Amino acid sequence: MLEACVFFTVLCGFFGLIFKQNLVMKIIAMDVMSTGTIAYYVAIAARGGLMVPIADNPDATLAAGTYADPVPQAVILTAIVIGFSIQALMLVGVMKLARDNPTLETDAIERSYRP
Amino acid sequence: MELTELPLIVTVAWIALPFFVGFSIYLLPQFDRILALSVALISVIYASLLFIVRSPQTLELIDNFGVMLIADPLSGFFILTNALVTLAVLIYCWRSEKTAFFFTQIILLHGSVNAAFLCADFISLYVALEVISIASFLLMTYSRSSRSIWVGLRYLFVSNTAMLFYLVGVALVYQATHSFRFQGLSAAPPEAITLIFLGLLVKGGIFVSGLWLPQTHAEAETPVSAMLSGVVVKTSVLALVRCALLVPEVEPIVRLAGVGTALLGVVFIMFETDSKRLLAFSTMSQLGFILAAPPVAGFYALTHGLVKAALFLVAGSLPSRNFKELNQQPIARSLWLMGAIAAFSISGLPLLAGFGAKTLTMKALLPWQVIAMNIAATGTAIAFAKFIFLPHSNAIKAPEKVKLLWLPITILIGGLFVTNLFYPDAYSLGNIAKAIGTTLLGWLLYLGIIKKLSFKFSRIPEQLEHLIGVMSLSAIGLFLLAMYVNSFEGVG
Repeated sequence: MLEACVFFTVLCGFFGLIFKQNLVMKIIAMDVMSTGTIAYYVAIAARGGLMVPIADNPDATLAAGTYADPVPQAVILTAIVIGFSIQALMLVGVMKLARDNPTLETDAIERSYRP
Repeated sequence: MELTELPLIVTVAWIALPFFVGFSIYLLPQFDRILALSVALISVIYASLLFIVRSPQTLELIDNFGVMLIADPLSGFFILTNALVTLAVLIYCWRSEKTAFFFTQIILLHGSVNAAFLCADFISLYVALEVISIASFLLMTYSRSSRSIWVGLRYLFVSNTAMLFYLVGVALVYQATHSFRFQGLSAAPPEAITLIFLGLLVKGGIFVSGLWLPQTHAEAETPVSAMLSGVVVKTSVLALVRCALLVPEVEPIVRLAGVGTALLGVVFIMFETDSKRLLAFSTMSQLGFILAAPPVAGFYALTHGLVKAALFLVAGSLPSRNFKELNQQPIARSLWLMGAIAAFSISGLPLLAGFGAKTLTMKALLPWQVIAMNIAATGTAIAFAKFIFLPHSNAIKAPEKVKLLWLPITILIGGLFVTNLFYPDAYSLGNIAKAIGTTLLGWLLYLGIIKKLSFKFSRIPEQLEHLIGVMSLSAIGLFLLAMYVNSFEGVG
């Protein structure tokens, strides 16, 4: 169920990316898509026990599988940072572009820059 | 003294160096050119060390999540390509007005491409590919014109969307194997293969999912196009090649993608009238040759990188981009000579490395690939006849820019002559006859038929929405392929 919701989010973002005309909306759609991806990593990391992987009592060794897997979360942290910086870069580009193309409609931009 | 092992510290230091130097350039802008050049030279030395050592070096992160780097002769070929192309581009820009920012970005791009060439797991590859996207975006938009910003944004949209699919695929691999290693692909479900390959195919500019490539590479500035076409797209191609070598199950998919893109690219280049777009489409088709025979991919990638960088630099100095106009006024002979030698190599004529590479690739093909790849080779000869048969004369004075070209072109073409010696076995009578025959056939077809035709492909598939939409179609195609391969495994 959780996975279905996650994939629905990813697809929402993907279709937004295709069907939205405005560049800012496209960037937001991409953000929705990446939110879905991030949520998927969190979803596969979480398991039944839902414990943080910190051994509070040094004597008790954590049994494998009773804690949430930290690896996908660590990985997705990197991806969040990268995604964030790329989006910032794109928004700066869009701001520059908005001076010549105030509507920011991709069709119009594409038509004006075609050789 | 026999060198059998490279200390790990060398590899680590070499990967970190470009990033360190890249940011130092910003602090010491007066030394920008020297610093950048020294990084490229160090990469040349590192690549040659890999060829001397030969045994693969692996660096693994503690504990078994599979994060690791591999340095072997296969990555050596790609690193050497990157080093030589960067070197040529830096020398080409030596006297230009480019600011320290440009050199910083070139070196960061160089470093991230190197890192991507060493990756042997999906996560480090993801990080390297994303750094590459950012650095290439900044280089593409260096002129700050609205047009270049649009081309850059379009590139970021396409590549970032592809990388999101890739990340979902990587999550599936991790779920199945608890490791990020490339080998995990064999135990992963077909969905994972689909999504990861979708990301890599799009990033590499392969088959229909790679139609973003022509406009991006053609609109960038000359030195940037040379970098993008010569090395940057090869990062995901190397990843595909490595997957194919490590996981035999996916090899047919990679080979098929290679054949598909080789043919598609050739169809486009035969009828292209714009010189830079022709070169960009030819990159698409040449990547197909690299993928079609994964075991010998390294050598082909090296020769293609050198040739394509040289051709882009030459095309940047031609008086016009349109072949119709170029055919009406002769160009300077020196300029023609540089372009023609590069075109000879890419058509696969003997004495240049393109010949050895093409012979090796043709030998490593599977029977079902042979006809298609021979057609693609002939098509390449047809397209590059456009460069070879440009009118030229001694009387025309070369434009000022040509002076800048001599040294970088000498490095690139000299590299082609030297690497030609890597594979002397190719020089059998049959191989030479076949190479010359293919090229002559291509030239005849060009002069007889293609030159008189004028046919334009619609550019609608290159619109942003279509580029993104076609990813869903590629995903379906890849999924069917992955299912097919899987069922095959089950029976066998």
